[in-house]
Amino acid sequence: MRKSVHWGIITVMIVALALAAAGQVSAQAKKNPYKDPVKIAYLPDNIGDTVGAAWGVGIKREFAYFPNITYQVFDGKLSAETQNQIMTELINQKYDCIILQAHDAAALAASAREAEKQGIPVIDLNLDAQTPHTCLVAMVDYEAGSLVAQEIAKGVGDNGNVVIIEAPPGASRGINVEAGFRDTLKAHPGVKILAAQDGEWLTEKGNTVMRDFLTKYPKINAVFAINDAMAEGASQAAAAAGRKMIIWGADGEKKALQYIEQGKLTGTIYTNCYDEGATAARMALYAIGAEINGSKFTKTPIIKMAPIVVTKDTVASIAEKDRW
Amino acid sequence: MRQETIRRLFSLLLLSILIVAFGATSKLFLTLPNIFTLLREASVTGILAVGVTFVIITAGIDLSTGAIVAFVAMVCANIFYYTTLPVWVALAAGLLIGAGAGYLNGLLVTRLHLPDFIATLSTQGIFRGLALIIAIRSSTGSISNKVITNQGFLLLGDRVSVVYLVTIAFFVVALLGQGILKMTPLGTHTYAIGSSRKSADLSGINSDRVKKVAFTISGICSAVGALFLTARMQTAIPELGTGLEFDVIAAVVIGGCAFSGGRGDVFGSVVGALFMAILTNGIYKYNLPAAFHIIIKGCVIIIMVIFDSVYHRRMDDRIRKAGKMLDQAAAAAEAAGGGAGGIS
Repeated sequence: MRKSVHWGIITVMIVALALAAAGQVSAQAKKNPYKDPVKIAYLPDNIGDTVGAAWGVGIKREFAYFPNITYQVFDGKLSAETQNQIMTELINQKYDCIILQAHDAAALAASAREAEKQGIPVIDLNLDAQTPHTCLVAMVDYEAGSLVAQEIAKGVGDNGNVVIIEAPPGASRGINVEAGFRDTLKAHPGVKILAAQDGEWLTEKGNTVMRDFLTKYPKINAVFAINDAMAEGASQAAAAAGRKMIIWGADGEKKALQYIEQGKLTGTIYTNCYDEGATAARMALYAIGAEINGSKFTKTPIIKMAPIVVTKDTVASIAEKDRW
Repeated sequence: MRQETIRRLFSLLLLSILIVAFGATSKLFLTLPNIFTLLREASVTGILAVGVTFVIITAGIDLSTGAIVAFVAMVCANIFYYTTLPVWVALAAGLLIGAGAGYLNGLLVTRLHLPDFIATLSTQGIFRGLALIIAIRSSTGSISNKVITNQGFLLLGDRVSVVYLVTIAFFVVALLGQGILKMTPLGTHTYAIGSSRKSADLSGINSDRVKKVAFTISGICSAVGALFLTARMQTAIPELGTGLEFDVIAAVVIGGCAFSGGRGDVFGSVVGALFMAILTNGIYKYNLPAAFHIIIKGCVIIIMVIFDSVYHRRMDDRIRKAGKMLDQAAAAAEAAGGGAGGIS
């Protein structure tokens, strides 16, 4: 009798373990992102930003092929706290994937790590989170800065004064673009960096910073703004002051291309942001369906979009449908 | 029933309506993880709101709370990055800086007689600037925010069972705040100078001292909020807390504090902070375009403040009418008494 009770208990334990294991397997079973209902969130730093909006269009276009996908956009409101709050919300709501543009690399690290731990792949766009995760899809950054430095050095004949309108502190893209620019300029000792100030990615702030530079420095030969929006602001400020100089941005947004055509901007490094958004969307679908676990990665895989140097001579090569 | 109790019950009723509405329309809303997340989201705003409640009851305003959060967070980040000092040093330094920042606000308002709005707007810039100056930088000079790895400090961002530590801290701070407001002479004096500074001065209350204490409490609460926020984010960034002061003020006003002073309490501000968090959390549950989130939030806050204003106007009218009737009754009684005196 006692023996049969023991066996009974052991049988129950084995069945329970088997069921638990089956549960584990079913819990780990990956969804088919092209058929099963999946929820994907896009959390840019700021929904009002041109680049973020273009990525959003690219992502939406890609997902439009799959009616099983619920796609939701959230606004990071240019705030790391807000992005962290929303990340927690998305984890609670058990989203299948998050496409994120981190406001700050360090500040979003914990949230991205937590999402990956919960089995939610995090695909970053341009601004990375400082933790290994599923993927980063980015415009070239260091290389973009380097390309602009070469163009500016050529433009000023290897001799002149340059000012930089920087990205907000902590933004990984800003840091890398600027590093590429500064490192490359070291090979051109005749080109001197007079000053660098944060333009907060914004046209109006870029304008304010540039006005300040113009008041302070009587001789500025070139300006490098880390994004086009700030470069446009700088261009307006220089025009208002009646001073001519070389002005470069980076991104390649529609308005910047028009400015280049009109001669208001010297050049930019163009990236097809629709394509970049679509690439992130494809990566999201791949990560949902594939047997990969971003939380186990020791380094984030990076996909870099091809850079195109755009000046007045080459701007016509960017087709209307690719202008964002 | 007292006017304050009716207002409180109505706030709770609106809060319940919001919970029922979101609960009925979203199956995710009333789940345990969501409730604790929601409480966590309310906590930092709520802790700051406790301090700001003191300032607003004195008929003041504090716009520097978000910047104090950034400054305190950055000081802690520096301590962890550049030194091996124990956690309590960072915590004590943070609290002292918060108290000092609040006291400075109080000094500017009472000694230099600057309007609260201007004084705290100016210090907002100063504290934010200081946070930028002491931000950790890379070798090229650009700001490079670092992940905090001190496990002792990061415990502040953790939870006990399912409840986040910040939520426990929020309710402790709120209880302390309510206790001070309702059960101590300091609380009575805070209400007195908010209702009528002149009368308070005439009755021997040191209004300047009360103001300074109110701002100092606000600074300390900002520091407490900063410590929890930093531990949660595991880093400090110079722009931390940007715009937070407006969420805090909205929570306090929704909770029933009047900008004119002398009215409201910490209980109301707790309800206000919960209301804001529930609203934000609930809206996220619907697949609405992101722009609608802000619009809905703005509209609901306007409705709440209109309700509060209409409610108080009606109550004031009622009190005035009751006062008039009492005056008339007193006059009639006096007239009747005078007549009787004449007969005798």
